[in-house]
Order: sequence, then structure tokens, then C-alpha cells
Amino acid sequence: MKTVYKLSIALGLMAVFGLTVVACSSTKGNYTDVPNDEVAETEFKLEKSGAQLWGETCNRCHIAPSPSDYNDTDWETISLHMRIRANLTEHESKKIEEFLKSAN
Amino acid sequence: MKKLFTIITIFVLGGTLYGQTYNTFEPSKTQFMLRGYGHTGFEYMDSGDETESTFLGSAFAPIFLYKHSDRLMFEAELEFALEGDELETGLEYADVMYVLNKNMTVRAGKFLLPFGTFMERLHPAWINRLPNAPLGYGHDGIAPSSGIGVELRGAFDLGGPKLNYSVYSTNGPRIKDGSEEPEEAGILEFENYEDTNLAKAFGGRIGLLPFSDSSTEIGFSAYSTSGTGEQDSDFEDIGAFLYALDFSLVKQIPGLGGIVDAKAQYNSSNVDTATFIEMHEDGDEEEYSFDNQSNSFYGQVSYRPTMSGSNFVKNLEFVARYSDFNAPEGAEWEEKSKQYAFGLNYWLSWRSVVKLSYQTTETEGGHDGDGITNTDGLFLHWAIGF
Ligand code: HEC
Repeated sequence: MKTVYKLSIALGLMAVFGLTVVACSSTKGNYTDVPNDEVAETEFKLEKSGAQLWGETCNRCHIAPSPSDYNDTDWETISLHMRIRANLTEHESKKIEEFLKSAN
Repeated sequence: MKKLFTIITIFVLGGTLYGQTYNTFEPSKTQFMLRGYGHTGFEYMDSGDETESTFLGSAFAPIFLYKHSDRLMFEAELEFALEGDELETGLEYADVMYVLNKNMTVRAGKFLLPFGTFMERLHPAWINRLPNAPLGYGHDGIAPSSGIGVELRGAFDLGGPKLNYSVYSTNGPRIKDGSEEPEEAGILEFENYEDTNLAKAFGGRIGLLPFSDSSTEIGFSAYSTSGTGEQDSDFEDIGAFLYALDFSLVKQIPGLGGIVDAKAQYNSSNVDTATFIEMHEDGDEEEYSFDNQSNSFYGQVSYRPTMSGSNFVKNLEFVARYSDFNAPEGAEWEEKSKQYAFGLNYWLSWRSVVKLSYQTTETEGGHDGDGITNTDGLFLHWAIGF
């Protein structure tokens, strides 16, 4: 019972903490709510490229490898391994994999 | 004759053609990769009245990755290290993973625990910016590093910010009751391969990357079990609750001409109070207990001048780390330690680094008895991942 109590406090804290940060973090700069087709289109084009995601993501724990370090088949295995180990989103890891395979 | 000639030509050319189509080196769907890392070095330690120096036999950790399909994969790491005149071997992890859907993957086996980030993400020698782990990790540490069980993990895109989670259940820790090593009574031991009770450990981590450039991550982890002792023993119902907070920031800062990398983790361990027995030299037994709470913290900052014009300077890295560890008052292993570590690294490649480091540690209590010990250490390590 005691641990259940502690755990629920922990989970509660996690939820409050998570929600606060999500609520406070601004997504400005990624999306605008101007309902204009032209704006929407340029916004769409501004979606991050695989290369940019690679630069931002693969540097977080270790120094990022360059595309030429591995061949396509190796990149497939590594991408799946990193997606799971580093808890990356499917979108991130797919885009980065495409970039790595196209640039090696 | 002409006919025969044509037939032969067709066969020969056709054969070559067929051979060519057959030999296009189409990648196979399944793939096996052998990788890993190794490290070696030299250490010099001075703790006032004692000095020692040694070359370290290299450690070698082969890693096996097998990808069966876009969803199914297996990973395992073996560890070989030369320690105290012996070859120590270990199975660091061995687990199967299956991607259930876009946001969820299941893992089962022995896996590195996402309790904070140090053990799961940062401890391999080619990733860690300093030659050793901060206080509070590894042998006699308070943070669990791996477990045998099952886990669900995944990540969500919040349209800029990202959220990742993992929840798991493992066999859980065992409490040292002091019958074998009286001076370690009350320490939680996480490296057990078989469970001795019905209580399992439950835990998880939630990580949030609040900014769309993924530069920052904050995480909260918890780990809990309702029983750490053997079934039907006095310690059966001694539960434990651990939590950790972690922080990571990696960002290229043009004003500083390079990449700044900051990491921190706080661990807290809270074990239910139990009664242990102390044997006096004259054979008398005395019962004692203490408030079994420990904690540890580390904060590390490193900087690489990646925007420098010089290729030599570009590969340099400067690191500083503070860590401390507090073991419960009243325990035989009561300890308060503080450590400052400074390092200069040279990166030969993205996975090979030569690390020079100076560390100074102040320990009050601990295994070496009462009083304060100051230890200075100089380390030169070389790590390579492959
Ligand atoms: C959250 C931390 C983290 C992030 C982010 C990360 N990695 Fe890793 N990476 C690791 C760890 C930890 C290992 C070592 C795995 C081991 O040895 O057990 C590793 C190992 C590797 C390896 C060696 C081969 C392997 O699969 O083990 C490659 C290559 C690699 N990472 C590439 C990448 C790429 C590309 C990205 C960007 C998509 C990336 N990493 C992002 C933590 C991370």
C-alpha cells in the first residue's frame, strides 16, 4: 500500500510536470494559425529536412556519425536501433534514415 | 551447326545475364551487425599515505545487433574486462524488441534501465566524456543499471516538443541482509539474475524535449518494489522507492564558436527501515537499524570548439563535472563523498577519443573507515567504438 501511494504521487508529479512544461513551451515558429493557403504552403515547405533533424538529434548523446560512415543496410539497422534506444519518434527516425541513405 | 552455335551463344550470354541479375547485391531483408567498443588507459592515484599507478588492461565489449524486419530486432552486449588479475565477463544486455506501432515498442530480456539517462545512454566509454562514471553509479552505486523483465517504450511528436516514455517491470533488487558482508547490510543489489520473492519492481521514465530543436531534455524516473528480501525472510516486506531527475542540453552556440553539452542527474533511494545484526568482536550480537536513504548527484558541462578554423582545435573538448554521493547515516557503509573532475579530450573520430583527466575526491566515512580521505587521480584513457 505504501509503495502504491508513493507511486501514485510520483505519477501525479510526472503528469503535472509534463503538462506544465508542454503548456508553457511555445510552438511558435513551427506552426502559425493563419488560415491562408499560401502561408500554409510555405509553412509546409519549412518542415525540417532529414539533414537538419540529423544535426539536431544525433548529437544529443554522442557525436553524430556522418552519412558516409555506414552503407544503406547498416543505416537501416542503426536507425531502428537508435529509434528504440534513444526513444525517437517514428517521423524523426524515418526522415534521418532517408537523409543518411541519400547522402552516403 | 549454326543452330547449335546459336543455342550455345544463348546459353552463355543468357547465363552471364542471369548471373548478373542474380548478383546485384540486393541487400538482404535481415541483417546482422557485429559492433562494440573497447578502452584502455593509465591511472595514477594519490590518497595521502597511499599512491598507486597502473596501466589498465583493455576492456572489450562486443555488441551484436540483429535486425529481422523493420519491426523486429535483437541486441546483446558482452563485456570482457581485466580486473584484479582476472578476466571478468558479463552480459550487459540481451533483449528482443518489437515495434508495436508508431508510438510503442515492446522489449523483453535483460535491458539497460531507463532510470535517469546515465546508464542507458551515456556510460559507454566512447560516449562518456570522462574516463569514469560519476559518484553513485557502478559498483556500490544506488542507481539500477539493468534489469531482467519487460518494457514498453515510445515517443510522441507534440508538434515541436516531443515526449518519450518507458514503463517496465523487472525482477527487482535484493537487499543485502548483512549475513555475508556485515559492512554492506542494507545496500540494494540490482545485479540478480533470479528472483527470490514474488515482488517485482515497477518503474518508468518520462522525458520531455520542450523545444522544437531537440536541444533540451528533462526527465523524471521512478522505480519501486514492495519487497527486496527473500521470500519468508525478515526482509520480505522491505520495500524500496527510487526516483531520478535528469537534464540534458546540447546546443551549438555561435557566440562561443562551438557546441556546449550539459548533463545532470539526481538519484534518490529510499529503502524501508529494517533491523540488522552487528557482531561484536567478543561474539556479542547487537541489533541496529537506520534510516536507509541515499542520494547522489552529478552535473557535467563540456565544450567543443567545432567552429574553429584549425582542425586540431576543432577536435578538442573541455569537460568539468561535479558529483556527490550520500549514503545513510548509521549504516556500516555511511559515506559522504564529493568529487570534482576536469578533463581535456581529443576526438580522433566520432567514436574514438583520448581523454586526459584530473579528479579530486573527498570521502567522509565509506569502506575505508571513518575520517576524511582525499584522493587525487590522474587518468589517461583511450576509448574506441566500432
Ligand atoms: C538518447 C541518446 C542517443 C541519441 C539521441 C542517439 N544515439 Fe546513437 N547511440 C546511443 C547509445 C547509448 C549507443 C550505444 C549503444 C550500445 O553500445 O549499447 C549508440 C550507438 C550508436 C551507433 C553505433 C551502432 C549502434 O547501433 O549501436 C550509431 C551508428 C549511432 N548510435 C548513430 C546514431 C544516429 C544516426 C542518431 C540520430 C538518429 C543517434 N545515434 C542518436 C545513444 C543515442
